[in-house]
Amino acid sequence: MGFDWAFFIERIVNPGAPYLNALGRTVTMAVLAMLLGLVIGLVVGFGRLSRYSLVRGACAFYVWLIRGIPVLVLLVMLFSGLAAAGLFRFSDVNFLGMKLTASFQAAVIGLAIHEGAYMAEIVRNGVQAVARGQVEAARSLGMTSWQVTWRIVIPQATRVIVPPFGNDFNHMLKTTSLASVIGVQEIFLLTEAMSATTFKTFELLSVVALNYLVLTAIWNTIQGVIETRLRAHEIDRPVRTWWQSLVVYMTPSPGGGERRI
Amino acid sequence: MNSDLRDPLVRALGVRKRFGETEVLCGVDLEVQRGEVLCIIGPSGSGKTTFLRCINQLETYQGGRIYVDGQLIGYRESGGHLQPLRNREVVVQRRRIGMVFQQFNLFWHMTVLENIMEAPVRVLGQSAAQARQNAMRLLERVGLGAKADAYPMKLSGGQQQRAAIARALAMNPELMLFDEPTSALDPETTGEVLAVISELATSGMTMVIVTHEMGFARQVADRVVLMEEGQIRHQASPEHFFGEQAPARLKAFLSTIH
Repeated sequence: MGFDWAFFIERIVNPGAPYLNALGRTVTMAVLAMLLGLVIGLVVGFGRLSRYSLVRGACAFYVWLIRGIPVLVLLVMLFSGLAAAGLFRFSDVNFLGMKLTASFQAAVIGLAIHEGAYMAEIVRNGVQAVARGQVEAARSLGMTSWQVTWRIVIPQATRVIVPPFGNDFNHMLKTTSLASVIGVQEIFLLTEAMSATTFKTFELLSVVALNYLVLTAIWNTIQGVIETRLRAHEIDRPVRTWWQSLVVYMTPSPGGGERRI
Repeated sequence: MNSDLRDPLVRALGVRKRFGETEVLCGVDLEVQRGEVLCIIGPSGSGKTTFLRCINQLETYQGGRIYVDGQLIGYRESGGHLQPLRNREVVVQRRRIGMVFQQFNLFWHMTVLENIMEAPVRVLGQSAAQARQNAMRLLERVGLGAKADAYPMKLSGGQQQRAAIARALAMNPELMLFDEPTSALDPETTGEVLAVISELATSGMTMVIVTHEMGFARQVADRVVLMEEGQIRHQASPEHFFGEQAPARLKAFLSTIH
């Protein structure tokens, strides 16, 4: 048998429309779940810092509960479990001319619920990381609470939040493969379907593995550039434009003094 | 300016403050004249810092009154009752009171210049050009003209504290509060910060300085105050305060520091 290189390369050079569609679905699912997860994380994360103990408790419970449930179980529970119990059944909808399948919606929501619990901890940590003293200094200068939040707290909390957020997105790109279980036509499900008809199982799995690798590699570069911009204040060279950020990120730092993710 | 220029700029009457069960300020009476430099010394936990923080409402006080420039700080008085001011009003009262912190507290994500321009632009509504010009003048004054575009992380503690002083001065305050401005500094950089504060003292700025630097207090202060257990225990000119005729209790305290 051996590894069919010709087939492998053909699949990469000429993936075909169904595969590209599936790839688009993978990326869209990851991006949507991440954005929704960020919203949940912001609400729950700030909620855990609320002055009301009921809100704090509810948000802590959410984090505790969701972090204890496997994503796969969560996805199947949302899609099949709720329907089986007659509680809720996802159905296909048309949105701006695009058809969002029931399984796609369930996957995005399930992944977002999962991500939200982790994001909440990241957000809470970021806000708490901004030194109390800076907030007092800003207030002593006569800045309003609103100005202190937007000009002092959020810009600095963002710096703390972005690196773990990026890591979570890296995870998310790959976790989308679990959505295959509930029938979302993403690249892993399509790969399995193709291997059932061609028997080129190892070649096809290699292609899809490489594909995830390329996605995360692209994202890692984007993340590196964003982080470089955010820590411009720690870098000796001026970093003002996106291009300068890319150059700084790509340049090995002498002595390894600058941190890279 | 709604009071007589001969009135004291700061007038504290029986100020009380409690954290839970602990009473930190037990009736502080103190006046600071316009243009006066007042140094507060005392053992840790005596309430010096808390009192300073009450003046610009980083802490609230629960009894007594603090007036700055004739204006009651933090409360509205009507018919003998005190009612806390709204946030919006507190913010306005703080504008003319500059504060310098032990830990400098520069905004970590802004350059030195941006640190100084932030409040004049956002709070006073100055144009960027005007704020920049003023900030550069202040940076020259504290000897940091060359560091305008540096981020705080790249500065020494002494440089950070001088930048923080410039930031407070940019609001054109009528009162400057210093909370142990050199306690977090190396001995080598303490001198450069004290020099800046001394220069400011001779310029006629009204200042209240909480400090452990006795030599500095003696040299720069018009009046020195000893605070102990939430009360003012002794106040005198530096000559008398540190002189031979000072009360035994004060000498005992001073000897613990030297």
